[in-house]
Amino acid sequence: MDLSVLERVKWLQQQQMVSPEFFEILGSDGREELKRVESYLGNNNDEWQSFRHYETIDGCISRTSSFQMEQVKNNEENRATALQHKRKTEGKTEKIENKKNKKIKTEDETESSMKGKSNMSNSETSSEIQKRDYIHVRARRGEATDRHSLAERARREKLSKKMKCLQDIVPGCNKVTGKAGMLDEIINYVQSLQQQVEFLSMKLSVLNPELEYHINELSTKQFQACFTDLPEAVSKQSMMVDASSFPLQHQESLDYSVINSIQTTTLGSKDQTSSGWEIHSQSLYNNLRTDSDSSFFSLK
Amino acid sequence: MASADKPINTDVPEKDVFTLHFLQSLSNLRRQNTFNSPEKTNDRVKKIKKAAYVSMARAAGGTNRLWSRALLRRAAKENSKVVRFPRRKKRVTCLRRRRSNRRDPVEEEEAERLRNLVPGGGGMETSKLMEETAHYIKCLSMQVKVMQCLVDGLAPK
Repeated sequence: MDLSVLERVKWLQQQQMVSPEFFEILGSDGREELKRVESYLGNNNDEWQSFRHYETIDGCISRTSSFQMEQVKNNEENRATALQHKRKTEGKTEKIENKKNKKIKTEDETESSMKGKSNMSNSETSSEIQKRDYIHVRARRGEATDRHSLAERARREKLSKKMKCLQDIVPGCNKVTGKAGMLDEIINYVQSLQQQVEFLSMKLSVLNPELEYHINELSTKQFQACFTDLPEAVSKQSMMVDASSFPLQHQESLDYSVINSIQTTTLGSKDQTSSGWEIHSQSLYNNLRTDSDSSFFSLK
Repeated sequence: MASADKPINTDVPEKDVFTLHFLQSLSNLRRQNTFNSPEKTNDRVKKIKKAAYVSMARAAGGTNRLWSRALLRRAAKENSKVVRFPRRKKRVTCLRRRRSNRRDPVEEEEAERLRNLVPGGGGMETSKLMEETAHYIKCLSMQVKVMQCLVDGLAPK
């Protein structure tokens, strides 16, 4: 950090921006120096005609303190606020009126940044230094005040990050770019899922009477074993099922026994009439009743 | 403000948790005497749908998620039951106030539609809404899978 600060100061020197007073300030502490700087700046405001000077100093200084953002919590309150101002001024447009206000703040923040612990962002430092060439290009239309604009930008970044998360979840979002299109896709997806739930619940209501008897007989655990694995079991058409292939994790051997017995019974009977279900459910029920504890693997 | 965001957690429990909850709610439904009368199909459909949502909300995290809390509260209100939730740190009122300041016309329009879809979306900030939507979508798809399995299992062959 010291090195980077020195680099920056050297750069400033080259630009003939820095006065000897500034160097004195570098090593010192306290707000009095800052006020001195402010006065210095205030005197020279009229003199400095060139737009670029503002930009460069502001940009240069903004760079110093911009990485300090994460240390805000560690610093004192004044530094924290100063740093916040700093961060917000980064993307600012180069209006001279705004600049005047920011100048003071930026100087303030430079001080605090230099005083603050600076181990945090050497990497950021390097990237920021590289951006130095683009100070002038980086002008953005500022919001009403600095703090709000920066808050707005941070919020937008947060939002975009979450949108990316959503993009991974919702299928078909990759083709559409931009927030509006993606949000449309997401809304459509949610609506389609809800419609699916409604449709399936209608189907279930039709099939319900068949379920009735069995649900009364069996416990829900057995049902869970029955119905989640049944389609897979039927499709697999295998006698033995690996324990690892089951998605069930909580109920362990109890369910395995149920599943195994189901599979044998279902494969034994070709048609799945409701009476067939009844018999199977009865057998399962008896199975589980006799062996209440787990570790029961024998098939019916 | 520039603090690193914590990784957004959108984990959803396994399928069997959803199945368990759904089957429990279905068995509860069956215990009602008037449930299986053949005439009132619409009522049955609605009840099953509600049971599906409530069981999904319970399975997906109960009171840990904003949308599940809102769903459960809504369901409890329909049954005129009072539900008590453990107190959370953030207050909804603060969020409401803040929400009025963040207006981006194009984005907010879409966000409004999303808020209508996701339960409990009205009190959330847009970024929080996105998180909740992600989790909600995952849970919904899981619930759809469970119901599909059930239907497939019961379908007459």
